[in-house]
Amino acid sequence: MSSKYYLPEDKTPLPPVNAEVLTTCCDYCIVACGYKVYRWPVGTADGGPQAHENALKVSFPSGPLQAWVAPTQHNVVMHDGRPHNVVIIPDKDAKAVNLAGDSSIRGGCLAEKVYNPDKPTKDRLMSPMIRINGTLQPVSWDMALDVATEVMKHVVNKHGVNAYGMKTYSYQYIENTYAIKKFALRHMKTPNFTYHDTPADVTSTPGFRDAGFDNFGPSYQDWGSAESLMICGTDPYETKTILFTQYIKPAIDAGQKTVWINVRETAGIAYAKSRGNALFLQIDPGTDVPVMGAIARVILENGWEDKAWIEKWVNNKWESDSGFGQGTRNTPWQWRTTWGKFQTKGFEDYKQWNLAQKEYDPKVAAQIANIDPADIYKAAEMLAKPKADGSRMKTSFAIEKGFYWSNNTGNTNVVSSLATICGAGGRPGQVVGRLGGHQRGGTGGGSYPRNKSAQKRPGRRRQALDCDRYFYSGHTRFAHVIGTTWIQSMCGSGGLNAKFEELVTNNPNQVRSFDKQEIIDTLKARADSGGTVVLNQEIYLRDPIGSRFADIVLPAATWGESDFIRANGERRLRLYSKFYDAPGDAKPDWWIMAELGKRMGFDGFDWKDANQVCEESSRYSRGNRKAYHMIKVAAHAEGKTLHGKLRELGTTGIQGPTFYNYKTGELLGTKRLHDTTVTEEQMVAEGRTTGANMVNKKGTHFNSQTGKVNIQKHPWDLFSDYWEWMKPKEDELWHTNGRINEVWQSGFDDVDRRAYIAQRWPENWTEIHPDDAAARGIESGDQLLLFSDRVPNFRQTIKGVHGADFNFAELLKNGWIELNKAAVTAVAIVTPHVKKGTMYSYFINTSQPSNALQGRVPDQISGNYNYKMGVARVKKIGESKYKSEFRSMSFAPRNIV
Amino acid sequence: MSELIKKDETAAEHAQCMLNRRQFLMYTGTTAAAVSTISLNLFPGEAHAKARVVGYPRQHIGKLSQLKENTPLDFNYPDKGQNSQAFVVKMDGAKAGGGIGPQRDVVAFSYLCTHQGGFMNGKYQAVGEHRVLGQCPLHLSTYDLTRHGIIVSGQAYQSIPQVLLELDGDDIYAVGVMGLLFGRNQNLMESQES
Repeated sequence: MSSKYYLPEDKTPLPPVNAEVLTTCCDYCIVACGYKVYRWPVGTADGGPQAHENALKVSFPSGPLQAWVAPTQHNVVMHDGRPHNVVIIPDKDAKAVNLAGDSSIRGGCLAEKVYNPDKPTKDRLMSPMIRINGTLQPVSWDMALDVATEVMKHVVNKHGVNAYGMKTYSYQYIENTYAIKKFALRHMKTPNFTYHDTPADVTSTPGFRDAGFDNFGPSYQDWGSAESLMICGTDPYETKTILFTQYIKPAIDAGQKTVWINVRETAGIAYAKSRGNALFLQIDPGTDVPVMGAIARVILENGWEDKAWIEKWVNNKWESDSGFGQGTRNTPWQWRTTWGKFQTKGFEDYKQWNLAQKEYDPKVAAQIANIDPADIYKAAEMLAKPKADGSRMKTSFAIEKGFYWSNNTGNTNVVSSLATICGAGGRPGQVVGRLGGHQRGGTGGGSYPRNKSAQKRPGRRRQALDCDRYFYSGHTRFAHVIGTTWIQSMCGSGGLNAKFEELVTNNPNQVRSFDKQEIIDTLKARADSGGTVVLNQEIYLRDPIGSRFADIVLPAATWGESDFIRANGERRLRLYSKFYDAPGDAKPDWWIMAELGKRMGFDGFDWKDANQVCEESSRYSRGNRKAYHMIKVAAHAEGKTLHGKLRELGTTGIQGPTFYNYKTGELLGTKRLHDTTVTEEQMVAEGRTTGANMVNKKGTHFNSQTGKVNIQKHPWDLFSDYWEWMKPKEDELWHTNGRINEVWQSGFDDVDRRAYIAQRWPENWTEIHPDDAAARGIESGDQLLLFSDRVPNFRQTIKGVHGADFNFAELLKNGWIELNKAAVTAVAIVTPHVKKGTMYSYFINTSQPSNALQGRVPDQISGNYNYKMGVARVKKIGESKYKSEFRSMSFAPRNIV
Repeated sequence: MSELIKKDETAAEHAQCMLNRRQFLMYTGTTAAAVSTISLNLFPGEAHAKARVVGYPRQHIGKLSQLKENTPLDFNYPDKGQNSQAFVVKMDGAKAGGGIGPQRDVVAFSYLCTHQGGFMNGKYQAVGEHRVLGQCPLHLSTYDLTRHGIIVSGQAYQSIPQVLLELDGDDIYAVGVMGLLFGRNQNLMESQES
């Protein structure tokens, strides 16, 4: 018996003194650490161990925290057609983000990401392909593009533009997303468009948006300068490593109080607890609203709210109602609050409402969440109780997906209100924001045509189209999928997979000819017969979207293979340098979109290089959080390109929104948004207000109709019917899922192609509490079947009329919810770090996506999935080899301090 | 150092030795083999059938009978230079990949975290059936010592290097290292090869 293993090497080459040095950033989590790429031709001398003999200027053996090159940080690539060594290590000179060159396990292994025909990356897509006789066969770019666009044109002309659907990444660099959106939104103008992580193009954090908080307003330093920090639904040590190790951990060591809401205790939480100033609220999934509402109540009852802040920065009755016309009447905020479900008449109104709700009684809340009521009082004290001298602590609030994808609207509303009464949101160390997600690489190339959406909620406006349901209803005749698995990454993915099989594979119109026109005609016939044609742009052939369903596959170039720019979680913009040749015929997505656009007859797709795309896109960034337009203005004033100017700024880059002082020629960044300590006079004095500079509310105020915060209600009953229905019955357990430190969202890099990571996580896995395991005769290393016969799936694209039409109970009653079966297998990890009664799985092992068990019922207000909500039964079906072997996996708990 | 073995080997023998290293990894504790293991460093420039190689020293590090349960014994390996700090530990019956002794529970590892070189002296822990090294004081990495030092949770770029052991009667010998020691560009430093 053998399993995945790697053979560690015991030596590594050092870059020579004359190695070329380029800067880039990590491709993975939103923290986006700065990296340096050292490149030298194969066949020329490596560097020596003495400081003067290598480009790192360090003598080896090096000491703790000094530069070092692990074997996983070296690779061989082609550059200008010649093989070159590359060493990719964190930038030891970094002056921002990963200070002193810190890194995570994910970024630390970046060098393994690049294409190398001798390594596990050898299966990168090299050529366009068309599925002929069931097999994807290499064809020329011209042929693939011609076929794709001819079929696209036909679908749009015959079935309407809504029949053309695009599912794309939102983050993979500004140049690409601009080109993609210009194609799909400005030219195609389809509402059948959404991103990799949500069924509809909607905000991830409706409560933040409605309160007026930007997701990424804070600077990383703010998380460290808070005296009290609440972290909901994530452990940044696991997912935003450097934010934790460089900013939060030092703060915890210096006495920062932390309050955590999570279902499992991982290393960061365990460490904070070990330092004695942390409180861990290990709640049942989906119960954040009662718990945080109750914390708010305790604060209000004690009069611990930040009265001065509330007086100055919270909308009162009149302000809440202000701003007609293009103001609140036409914003998602007003649209959601039409029923009066969320809108308040100001702080007092919120207070009275909170005190009147039974679920915010700490006893009731604690019972719902299955925690000790005393912890609610303790949390309130840690977050808001004034110091002995009457002064306030600086308190901040951070959230991520475990939180906002459990009860999307309710949770983001409750944290906004709790944060506001604690005085958080607009001052250094007193901030509100997200801790995660992908890096911010999206730029508007067109606006979403909401009015064309076939979907409408009760109320006045149409809702962004749920592309999963629209596809499921058979309306999507051409599916254009870019850089996402689509199926596995959505909830209830079993049903989606079956629908793809029905509409694509089982449709009788399959290509049997090598003749271009016959291929086009067959695919047109597919669409006309009610089936779907699939176009997939990817870097690897993904299963099943590429390997089983795609009719046309176009190979994409990615990180390191073209110059790109992107912003991180504190809006810091950097250039990600091209440092090697893309494999085969792979091209960056902006190039592919340009070729498709030209063939469609669209104008404005004749870019020569990535910088041209970037420069064209910059004006659409004006006014947004990562506005980079002024970098272009500065660059042109200096006779440079936008990319060229950012290259000069290296791994430090600049924080958006950017400004340009026309007098001094200085390029200025923005440390934090909503900074109420910054005055208009300062802005003027710094030259941020003249010329093409764009000043708007978000710099010094909040993103609301008045610039002040909307304090909102967070009704539990909008969600509680779903939660009650979902709650484990009989021998079911809660089933939730998420990420793991060693693997980013990019399973295609980590577990599929990194021997070291594959050895750690060779298979799908599920964490289960020792008590739950013992009751079912399960031990670590056992092979498990997780199964459910009640995975709720919202079936069709429908229009709501009456107020409660989209409440889960009404949907169920009216027959819009179908109960599906789902099952996945996984290796058991019996561990006390997960809550009793709850199982936790990796969220997207593409062979056994645990999302299959999660309810495919979008949040009725926002349209997002509540991915973290699911239940499953579990039984042992055998023993995995990892139970008796010692080479792969580990069953040690993650909270050992 | 003086204990370094330097000898001429044929390429065929070299390959055989490498195979043994792999067999070590495959080793799951079912047999009580004393694996003879030498990592080899080929000197470039000679394309002849014979290549000059240098191997890890075979170094006596202690006696099995003297190891106390769950109490690491420190030693330096493969030399006494920088970043050579290592420990051997008998893990109180916890069977381990690469473990020697009747219970397969004696293992040896580097003390230096392979993330950024944090020194994990005093960080050996027995928690229930688990045996871990960590959290590293710098960035909190932990390693599973029953599974060839694989990362449990943390940021390291590779497993914690395992020192290969041989048991000869009651004597424990260190004979090689799996994985690159933090801070080194090669485990066997050039300065010691001449």
